[in-house]
Amino acid sequence: MALLEATNLGITFGGLKAVDNFNIKIEKGQLYGLIGPNGAGKTTVFNLLTGVYKPTEGKATLDGTVITGKRTIDINKSGIARTFQNIRLFKDMSVLDNVKVGLHNQIKYSTAAGILKLPSYFKKEKEMTQKAMSLLEVFDLQNEADFSASNLPYGKQRKLEIARALATNPKLLLLDEPAAGMNPNETAELMDTIRFVRDKFDMTILLIEHDMRLVSGICEELTVLNFGQVLCQGKTSEVLNNPEVITAYLGE
Amino acid sequence: MKIKSLSENKTTKRNLVTYGIVIISFVIVQIFNGTGSLSSLLSGLLVPICYYVILAVSLNITVGVLGELSLGQAGFMCIGAYASSVFSVCTMETITNAWIRFPLAILVGGICAAVFGILIGIPVLRLKGDYLAIVTLAFGEIIKNFCAAAYVGYDETGVHFSLASTADLGLSDSGTVLINGPIGISGTPKDSNFIVGFVLVMITLFITLNLINSRTGRAVMSIRDNRIAAESVGINITKYKLIAFTISAFLAGIAGVLYSHNLSVLAAKSNNFGYNVSIMILVFVVLGGIGNVRGSVIAAVILTALPEVLRDLAEYRMLIYAIILIILMICNSSPKFKVYREKYSIKRFLSRKKEQKAKGVQ
Repeated sequence: MALLEATNLGITFGGLKAVDNFNIKIEKGQLYGLIGPNGAGKTTVFNLLTGVYKPTEGKATLDGTVITGKRTIDINKSGIARTFQNIRLFKDMSVLDNVKVGLHNQIKYSTAAGILKLPSYFKKEKEMTQKAMSLLEVFDLQNEADFSASNLPYGKQRKLEIARALATNPKLLLLDEPAAGMNPNETAELMDTIRFVRDKFDMTILLIEHDMRLVSGICEELTVLNFGQVLCQGKTSEVLNNPEVITAYLGE
Repeated sequence: MKIKSLSENKTTKRNLVTYGIVIISFVIVQIFNGTGSLSSLLSGLLVPICYYVILAVSLNITVGVLGELSLGQAGFMCIGAYASSVFSVCTMETITNAWIRFPLAILVGGICAAVFGILIGIPVLRLKGDYLAIVTLAFGEIIKNFCAAAYVGYDETGVHFSLASTADLGLSDSGTVLINGPIGISGTPKDSNFIVGFVLVMITLFITLNLINSRTGRAVMSIRDNRIAAESVGINITKYKLIAFTISAFLAGIAGVLYSHNLSVLAAKSNNFGYNVSIMILVFVVLGGIGNVRGSVIAAVILTALPEVLRDLAEYRMLIYAIILIILMICNSSPKFKVYREKYSIKRFLSRKKEQKAKGVQ
C-alpha cells in the first residue's frame, strides 16, 4: 500500500479551481518530484496535504489513515513535516532551539516541571539537546548551534529548516523548492543531503523544484502540474521526454 | 530587541546576574533602611517599586515572549487586589497569623487573576496586534469600573450583591459590607512590606526566567517568531498563547495583592487600576527593552522612584519626568548610543583589565 495516496483532491477559491482532480501515489522510501510552471498549484497541493487549506473535494490518506479535514498540528503529529518556499525559521531563536521546537511533541515535560526545574526538566532537556545536536551534525550545523537562526547564511537556513522538520519524526517530508536561491555547488551538495536523509532516516520525500538538474538527478518519479491539473505522471525519464511537458513547462 | 536564545551556560550566567542585581540592591536598601538614612518618602516607595517591577516583568511575558501587545495588565492587578482583600478581610478573625494568611491571600489573588486571564484570553487571543491591544484595554477598564460600582455584603442569610447602593443590599442588622462601591474595601490588614515584596519579585523572576528557558517558553517564542512554521511542527498555537497570557495575569494578580495589602483602604480608581497605569507598565517594558527581563526590572525601579525624587521641583516635576523619559527612550533606541554603551560597558572594562593582567604575566 502506498504511504501517501491522494484521490481527486481539489480546492476552489471563489470561482477559481486552484487544484482540480489531483491524484498521487507515493510508495514508502520514494523520492518524488512535483514540478510545473509558476502558479500551477504546487504549493497549494502542499498546503492541502498539510491542512493549511481544507480541500473542497477529494481525500488524502497517509499510511491508510485519512488526513484531509484534520488540523495542521494533527497532520504533523500523524507524520507529515514540511519546509517552506520562503524560509520560515524562528529567527530570533538559536539554531539549536529551532530544532528543539521541532522536538516539541517527541520529548515532553510539563510546563510546571519547566518552571520549577524538576528533575524531569533536566533529564528531558538533556535528551532534547543530544537529539537536536545529532540532527544538526547530519546537516553540518553543529558549530553554529548557538547562532541566532537569522545570522545563518542562506544555504544553511534551508538546511536548518529541513533539520527542524525531521525533528518532528515524520514519515513523509515535503520540501518546497529546497534549492531556490542556491548556486550550482550548493545545489549539488543539497542533492547529496537529500539522498542521505532518505537513506539514513528511511524517509519518503516529496519535493517541489524548478531546478531540473536536481529533479532529474534525484527524483525517481514525477508529477507535472499545469493550471491546477495533472499534466503527466510517471518515471522521471519518461515524464521529462513527454512532448506535452516539454511544450507546457520545459521549452524546446 | 527580543529575547535571544543563547547557549545554556550563557543563559544561566545571565539569569544569575539578574538575580544577583536584585539581591544586592535589596541588601543595600535594607542596610540604608536599617540605619535610618532613607527619607520617609523613599521608604514609602519601596513596596510600590516591588509591585511595579512584578507588573513590568509579567507584562514582558505577553509583550516580549509571546509578542502580543496587551494593555489590560492593570485590570488583572485589580482582580488580584480585590480578591485577596476580600479574602483577608473575611479570614482576619479565623486566621490570625499573618504568616499563614498572607501567603494564602497571595495565592487567592494570583489564581483569581489567572482565571480571568483564561476567561478573557479565550476570546481575545484570536485577535492580533493593535486589535488585541484595544480589546485588552477595554477589558481592563471594564474590570476597574465594575469593581468601583459593585456593592457586596454578607449576613447570616448569605452574600448580597448590588450595583446601586449599600441600602440596596438589604443586609440585616448584623450584616457587614465588604465592598462599598467607589469607597472600596476598608480594613485590609497591612501585611505587605519590603521583604515580602522582594521575595515576590524573586519568585516572579524565577517563574519568568525558567519559563523562557523551558519547552513551553520555546513553544511560545516560536509562535512569536513564525506562527505558520510553529503550526507546521505541531505547536498548539491557542494552548501556548493562553498559557503565556495566564501566567502573565497570575503574576499581575500577585502584584495586586502586594498593592492592596500595602493600603488600609482599597478603591478602584483610574490612578491605580486605570488604562494609564497599564500604559505606564508598558513604558517600563519598552524602556527596559521588549523581552529583556533585567531591563524591565531596572526601568520599573528608575521610573517609579523618579517622580518622588523630583518632588522638590514641585509643579515642574512631571515636566522634568517627561523630558527624562524622552531622553532615555531616544538614547535607548539610537544606534550611536548603543556603540558608545558597548565601548564603555562594565563587561568590556573588566575583560580589558583581564587582558592587561595576562600581558603583565607574559
